Amino acid sequence: MGVIIGPRVIDAGVSLLSVLISPVAVAAGFPSPAQDYFDGRIDLNAHLIKDITSTFVVRVTGDSMEGAGISDGDELIVNRALEPRDGSVVIAVLDGELTVKRLRITGNGVVLQAENPRYPDIRVPALSELTIWGVATRCLHHV
Amino acid sequence: MKCIVAKPAPMRRMPQIAHVDVNCFYASAERAFDPSLEGRPLVVLSNNDGCAVTRSPEAKALGISTGEPWFKLAPRAKEWGLVAKSSNYELYGDISARVMELLGRYSAWLEVYSIDEAFLGVKGEPDQLLVLGRRIKEAVLRHVGVPVCVGIAPTKTLAKLCNKWAKNNPAFGGVCLWESVPPPVREGLMGRLPVDEIWGVAGRLAKRLNAMGIFTVLDLMHADPVAIRGKFSVVLMRTVLELRGTACIPMEEERVGRDQLIFSRSFATPVTTSAGVREVLGIYSQQASARLSKHGLQAKVLTAFAATSPFRNQEQAYPTVCVRLPMPTADPLLLTRAAHALLPKIREGLRYAKAGLMLTDLRPTGNQPPLEPFENRHEERGIGPLLEDVSRRFGRGSIGLGYAGVKSGLDWTMKRNMRSPRYTTHWDELPLVKAA
Repeated sequence: MGVIIGPRVIDAGVSLLSVLISPVAVAAGFPSPAQDYFDGRIDLNAHLIKDITSTFVVRVTGDSMEGAGISDGDELIVNRALEPRDGSVVIAVLDGELTVKRLRITGNGVVLQAENPRYPDIRVPALSELTIWGVATRCLHHV
Repeated sequence: MKCIVAKPAPMRRMPQIAHVDVNCFYASAERAFDPSLEGRPLVVLSNNDGCAVTRSPEAKALGISTGEPWFKLAPRAKEWGLVAKSSNYELYGDISARVMELLGRYSAWLEVYSIDEAFLGVKGEPDQLLVLGRRIKEAVLRHVGVPVCVGIAPTKTLAKLCNKWAKNNPAFGGVCLWESVPPPVREGLMGRLPVDEIWGVAGRLAKRLNAMGIFTVLDLMHADPVAIRGKFSVVLMRTVLELRGTACIPMEEERVGRDQLIFSRSFATPVTTSAGVREVLGIYSQQASARLSKHGLQAKVLTAFAATSPFRNQEQAYPTVCVRLPMPTADPLLLTRAAHALLPKIREGLRYAKAGLMLTDLRPTGNQPPLEPFENRHEERGIGPLLEDVSRRFGRGSIGLGYAGVKSGLDWTMKRNMRSPRYTTHWDELPLVKAA
């Protein structure tokens, strides 16, 4: 049982799922001038996530990263596979909690910075003494 | 016509088998998102918060055994600092799928053996294999956040044995290669291991072996395979041969475990269309349904996945979905429909080399009211999704059908009072990170 739309057969039973339908003409209609140009809708997963296996989404609580454009309630896309570098926004484990900070690796050691003057820096003797959970790649900021 | 003279083939090393297994899987999956659980005794409870099914090493050290009922542990939990979690199948299913996707990048020959272990075909010189094992271990920990151990050997039985050694003996650093363990050391370790610790030998069989004077794994290795076949079975003879380094347990494509059912296989020719994948998923769903019925089981969670070949010079994709079924079911139509949730993630034109289904949260058929026909009739009017939506927003038990629904919850809905958030599958339950 199916409804034929263009070249695809769509099961009436899959109404819950979003099925991509290209705008092709139904039989006896005029061909759409856009038909040859349709490559599918924009897929945010494809653009925002490099490696789906190692990517997680987390939600921010608190205002210490306001200066980086990361507000309370925003979601971050975090790739665990990335190597943290100087300047990365990282999710670090501090006192058993996942915490978002700006990572600074300098000649004088490692610093976890907030992006809000009300919060002090946290100094760490070496990167190896720090558990970096992942590196944030995007902020889904609520506007 | 040209005559081709065959050159002698270079000496080829036999392919080896790597067995990869997540350490204390459920507990590790919990810790991956809640670092405060690190170092604390932790148990994960079975369905309905019945008994401990997974114990962290700290919980084992307290003398808690697998299967210990929670009501016995609860009074002492505070004093021990013991944390208990209800089974979070959505989380475990997704973490498992991620681990398997990652492992699939290291070998085209991947057998998902259970929710937390897999066999991979690997090739190379001993030092290369050790490096590969360590790379796999590091990658899973870094990419997905759970620790694994790796055993590499000429046979599946030995690979599992090596994995056990890697887990129990810190000197191996989590990776044990059969070839690199000196034979006298192997024999010493096998001589100390009771025979029921080897893959394929369970309690009763071990008792019968003991009666024959076979007490350790080493004794079993030295047993006469033909006599073993005569007295026991061809299955146990295979174990003996495998212990001697002859691979005879083939790759399997489906398996019913204690708490999961897996169908996975590589395709002879790559599938490049969503319609092709749909067909495969339909077939697996029907097989899975038949298998569930045969064992008198129903599933509550379905994970469907596909993967492109890791060896082709092409774009890679490892789509996966985890679907919590509206009710425990073995119905082929419901399973097929759930598996179709994978289809929107299939990209036309990519060459998919493998697809599979994993059913988890299995429970016996029967302790459930005959709701399905009713539910099905109403699904077409969109009531199913509406109910789902309402309960997602207002909590399970906030709305229900007829006599079945509201107030006390159905007797077959699971009690999961201590469940952690479904961090990776529910937008409302994402892990929280502190900006403070």
